[in-house]
Amino acid sequence: MERKLKIVGLIIGLFLPLFPFPGIDYITRVATLTVLYIVLALGLNIIVGFAGLLDLGYVGFYGIGAYVAGLISVHYGWGFWYLIPLCICAGALSGILLGTPTLRLTGDYFAIVTFGFAELVVLLIRNEIWLTRGPMGVAGIPPISFFGHQFTKEWEYYYIIFIIFLIVLLFIKRLENSKIGRAWFAIREDEIAAQCCGVNLVRYKVLAFAISASIGAIGGAFYARWFRFIHPDMFKFWESILILCLIVFGGMGNVWGVILGTIVLIPMTEILRNILPQEFVQARYLIFGALLVIMMRFRPNGLLPFSRERKDENFKSS
Amino acid sequence: MLLQQLVNGIVLGCVYALIAVGYTLVYGVIELINFAHGDIYMLGAFFMYTFLNFGVPFLPSFVLAVICCIIVGILLDIIAYRPVRYADRLAALITAIGMSIFFENIALLIWGADIKRYSREWIPHFFKKLFINLPNEHFQNVFLTVSYLQITIIVLSIILMIILHLIIHKTKMGTAMRAIAQDKRAAALMGIDVNRVISFTFALGSGLAAVAGIFIGMYYNSIYPMMGYIAGIKAFAAAVLGGIGSVPGAMLGGVVLGMAETLGAGYISSAYRHGIAYAAMIFVILFNPAGLMGKRKVDKV
Repeated sequence: MERKLKIVGLIIGLFLPLFPFPGIDYITRVATLTVLYIVLALGLNIIVGFAGLLDLGYVGFYGIGAYVAGLISVHYGWGFWYLIPLCICAGALSGILLGTPTLRLTGDYFAIVTFGFAELVVLLIRNEIWLTRGPMGVAGIPPISFFGHQFTKEWEYYYIIFIIFLIVLLFIKRLENSKIGRAWFAIREDEIAAQCCGVNLVRYKVLAFAISASIGAIGGAFYARWFRFIHPDMFKFWESILILCLIVFGGMGNVWGVILGTIVLIPMTEILRNILPQEFVQARYLIFGALLVIMMRFRPNGLLPFSRERKDENFKSS
Repeated sequence: MLLQQLVNGIVLGCVYALIAVGYTLVYGVIELINFAHGDIYMLGAFFMYTFLNFGVPFLPSFVLAVICCIIVGILLDIIAYRPVRYADRLAALITAIGMSIFFENIALLIWGADIKRYSREWIPHFFKKLFINLPNEHFQNVFLTVSYLQITIIVLSIILMIILHLIIHKTKMGTAMRAIAQDKRAAALMGIDVNRVISFTFALGSGLAAVAGIFIGMYYNSIYPMMGYIAGIKAFAAAVLGGIGSVPGAMLGGVVLGMAETLGAGYISSAYRHGIAYAAMIFVILFNPAGLMGKRKVDKV
């Protein structure tokens, strides 16, 4: 546990010093984006890392969250704090709706159906113009406010997402060491064996789906209110792959690995965007593709692999 | 109108079938969804464009482009998939996604993001002629135009499918492929060079995808690096529709999907043209995962 605490300390230590530099908006914005992606990656990690199901449609939930939050705040003027529970419900509901019928599918088919789901979400957003304004995007989303104070500065958003991140992290760590978490690991290691040991596959898989989707939707809600403009192109397949990349790079199933992977990769894309010549900027995802292949070849468990020995010790000590 | 849509649907379906066969072959042999397959189709169109651009005549360019794609397919297998062949299924799938992104971005770097077109003088005059052109004096109320290009796509697809069927069922290599599909380890014990046969499978699929890419490039006359992504997914949908692992199923699935897409775009909503393929795929996977012509598989402990 000490080592983990050290890592937590390190992460907080890395991010907090931004506070004295509220003037440098760009760096703060990248930091906010990084923490947002950590939240998203933690959500996807529940399905891919914990339950061992390859979900290629995660961005669909992110998009649903963003559009629910964006449209309701534009049309009805709801505050961000009411939107969060609403988005959690919307995410969980769509997760359950997608999860329930797809559960009996095995690995590859599951990946494809989730992929198709995300594509259909983007198609719906793009084409149902009466509802979502389609390719024009939703503009003029109000900023987040708190007791009458409107947050307009970059560093304020950084702290909001940081607090969301801490809550999500705490929640996931508690889940990981609970009965639910152990059931997920059992499903990941061997579905049939888990079922034979009395793990209710349907219930735990739907739960994984619902929780993962809710976290994605929270991320979407924050994104909509932070960026204050949403567009269907923001929720394309690429985003799913990017988030998957973060998890694979850091270490599937290991929360700390996922956080580390995100801290390395998201700022790296921003740096690449700035240092690469104009004609290469579009192709910077090349690195992500190559990275996925190379990681699978040489270090399939990521930078910080999920270690079962250490887990067993934890169970003994607790 | 209906007749025209049907013809267009069959042409599109033949192209999907050519790509879908590649998915199904690879899936049948090593149980991997080769996400990068759609990008090989895209590369086929771009290789053709490059060779034609260098002034190589049509037929040699065609052959060269197909050969290049076959080489890319074999390299893809050797460099990317072979090292993870006995690893986790998830690892292989993620590798495939990674390779797909890699190819798309390489194409973006080399050829740029803007749409490329085959210049008119590159393409033989034969393809531009019309095979059927209605209305003429005799048919006042029927509208139908079919070009020689469309006829070529249909005829060539049928010929290639027959050749493929013969390769799979009549040659030694085809027998080896079917043996590996049944049991990789037993096939290796029988003296089959598994790696070579798998590379051959990739070569076969890539060659067919390249042909599809070239013909789509000529048919729509617009090629771009992301074209492989949508076509790949639709072809995969076709393969699933027909029953993945089954070659005749992939052909049937391709034609059914192509028709569904053009008819849906024509009569229901053209905005949801791609959605029809995704929805069809999801419904087939959910309700009849074995597809139209596939065999149901039972998981053994």
